Amino acid sequence: MARPLVQVRNLHKSFTRGTESIHVLRDLTLDVAEGEFLALMGPSGSGKTTLLNLIAGLDQPTAGTIIVGDNVISEMSESELARWRTRHVGFVFQFYYLLPVLTAYENVELPLLLLPLTKEQRRKQVENALALVNLSDRMDHRPGQLSGGQQQRVGIARAMVTDPELIVADEPTGDLDTKSADEILRLMEILCEQLNKTIIMVTHDPKAAARAQRTLHLEKGQLVLDTATANVM
Amino acid sequence: MFGLPPELSSAGFGFDTSMFMLTGYLFAGLVGIIVGAIALGLLTLPAFFVILWGADRVAGLLASATGWFPIKLVLIMFRGLRRNMLRTSLTYLAIFVLTLVLCLIYAVLWMIGKATTEKEANFKAIVTHKTTIPSQMPPGYYEEFKRICIEEVPKVYAQNHPGEPPLVIRESDIMSWSFVLGTTDKVNQRKENMVFLFALEPDKVLTMMDGLDDLTGEEHEMLNKACDIMKQNERAIVMSKSRLKSLNMEVGQKIKLHGVNYPGLTWELEIIGTLPEGKYEGVSFMNKSYLLRSLEAYPRDREANPQGLTHPMMEKCINLIWVRLPNKEAFEILSGMVNDRARFNKVPIKLETASSGIGTWLGGFKDIFWGIKYILVPAMIGIMSLVVANALSISVRERRTEMAVLKVLGFQPRHVMFLVLGEALLVGLMGGAMSTFLAWRLLGHFKFQIMFFGAFFVPAIAMLYGTLLGMAVALAGSIVPAWTAKDVKVAEVFARVA
Repeated sequence: MARPLVQVRNLHKSFTRGTESIHVLRDLTLDVAEGEFLALMGPSGSGKTTLLNLIAGLDQPTAGTIIVGDNVISEMSESELARWRTRHVGFVFQFYYLLPVLTAYENVELPLLLLPLTKEQRRKQVENALALVNLSDRMDHRPGQLSGGQQQRVGIARAMVTDPELIVADEPTGDLDTKSADEILRLMEILCEQLNKTIIMVTHDPKAAARAQRTLHLEKGQLVLDTATANVM
Repeated sequence: MFGLPPELSSAGFGFDTSMFMLTGYLFAGLVGIIVGAIALGLLTLPAFFVILWGADRVAGLLASATGWFPIKLVLIMFRGLRRNMLRTSLTYLAIFVLTLVLCLIYAVLWMIGKATTEKEANFKAIVTHKTTIPSQMPPGYYEEFKRICIEEVPKVYAQNHPGEPPLVIRESDIMSWSFVLGTTDKVNQRKENMVFLFALEPDKVLTMMDGLDDLTGEEHEMLNKACDIMKQNERAIVMSKSRLKSLNMEVGQKIKLHGVNYPGLTWELEIIGTLPEGKYEGVSFMNKSYLLRSLEAYPRDREANPQGLTHPMMEKCINLIWVRLPNKEAFEILSGMVNDRARFNKVPIKLETASSGIGTWLGGFKDIFWGIKYILVPAMIGIMSLVVANALSISVRERRTEMAVLKVLGFQPRHVMFLVLGEALLVGLMGGAMSTFLAWRLLGHFKFQIMFFGAFFVPAIAMLYGTLLGMAVALAGSIVPAWTAKDVKVAEVFARVA
């Protein structure tokens, strides 16, 4: 296995609802190699999205350690995490979540606004990202003027425009037809194979998971199967 | 009517009904202003969106030219305002109505404040009855008052300040007003056929009357000419344009008036001019000497007065006496003389500064002003802040996911808070600025008058205050929604969405 980009150790996450404590993730440990395309599967409530949020620095664990690259993100404050996310993580959402009042270009440019780049540097990066997803001719369109597949491609361009080492995707094909879903998955493969991006994708779709190099199955907050090694954990 | 002679009030109720009427007028006026403000706000909505669109374009150009992050944020704010036009319109309307109404209230209070603020020199003083409003004084008081002003006050002043330049009070610095209400139809007296006049000395109109300092050159010349004619022809009168129009008459026509508060007197008058627009609306000026002459002639009028009695108003025909004084000490000296019952022994009178006199007169309205200042204004600000807060809270709730996405992309909580505050402040800025600008322009154009305070206008500084008020209300209304937006928990938002 290549050098792990993501190292999760003894991860525990619980929520309190009223007087009840709900354990979403229990003592979870895993590594994700640099340049790996990993799929996370499992039934609803198994903790997939929670695990994804924790790895992406959107939430803090109750216990355990998460290291991404050289950063121990489980010990970072909210504003440190915000800064870290800008440079190191790209997000792809099931419902795209593009800002409807901004054009495709402006949506992709959003994360770059937080980085010390010149206008020209930003323009170049946005154009490259949109070219990669084949949307150079749609950069002045608003999300409402784009199809679902095109919006998701804009979402991917936005995720990779800062050139992050890690891309997390939560059901990226869940809202798309088969053809568009295939295009998106192909794009993710390209990101992984040609640009050496590490991708962690949550999905319910076995076909989508099959495109990943490895699939982890979660149940009740624990890893139960790793398909790459075919080991029951 | 409150503040006018009892003869002019509607009698027969056993109490003065004018305060109820005044309250009714004020309430109706307030409702009218609010309805008018809403209508104006609706009319200006297209202009608001055009400006918004223009500002959006400018921000867009600036953002693409400079690439500066704060400008990009401002651009996102502008775009955010276009997201839900109805909500943005309602927020704008709320701020517009609030600032417009408060701007008008401020203008009224400002004018009253100005009228009741003392000057240090060359200020006006007013002689009135000591206890009765309105005053009714004998004509002899006016003559005696003039004499002591011109002769005795300078003497005492010279004794107090030997070797100093003498204190001078001229005849032209003293003026009296007599309120005259006449009707063109003695039998069927109605508001429409009534004419209210100030009987005064025409040569003192331009130098002593308040609110005539800002006449245009043409207006000044016309009024000066009219006063000259009034001096030569004691039957000549000048009338406000609005009254002339409501009487359906024209300059040059003659008018016969029967005294309402001077029963038994009749005047044959000639309308020789109009008062400048917005000055002493609804009022006419007549030559005081004609009034006095008709009072003196009354005992000889055997038709109207078979018994040959002196007219009951003969010793009550001076309602106000004005004097311009060079300094406070002159006022103190004169005040002591006016209080001397040996000099003025028919009815007790007092001297007060014009501002203090107006303040005393306004005393009857003090509860209303208190209510406006401390109940109405805060209540309006509170209600409008809640309206703005409500609109923004809905907006923030609807956009929680969007705000969470911004945070995911690396935007700091303060950026998200700034976006919400900024959107509200932009609407507040535009709503406040547009409403006060309109109030300033409209009132400046129409020149409304409130009683004898002169033309009612919105002071220029209100443009700044109105804009700041709009922004302050927007800020007050957006703090809680902005704080909520800042604290949006990304994981929770996406957990709910999923």
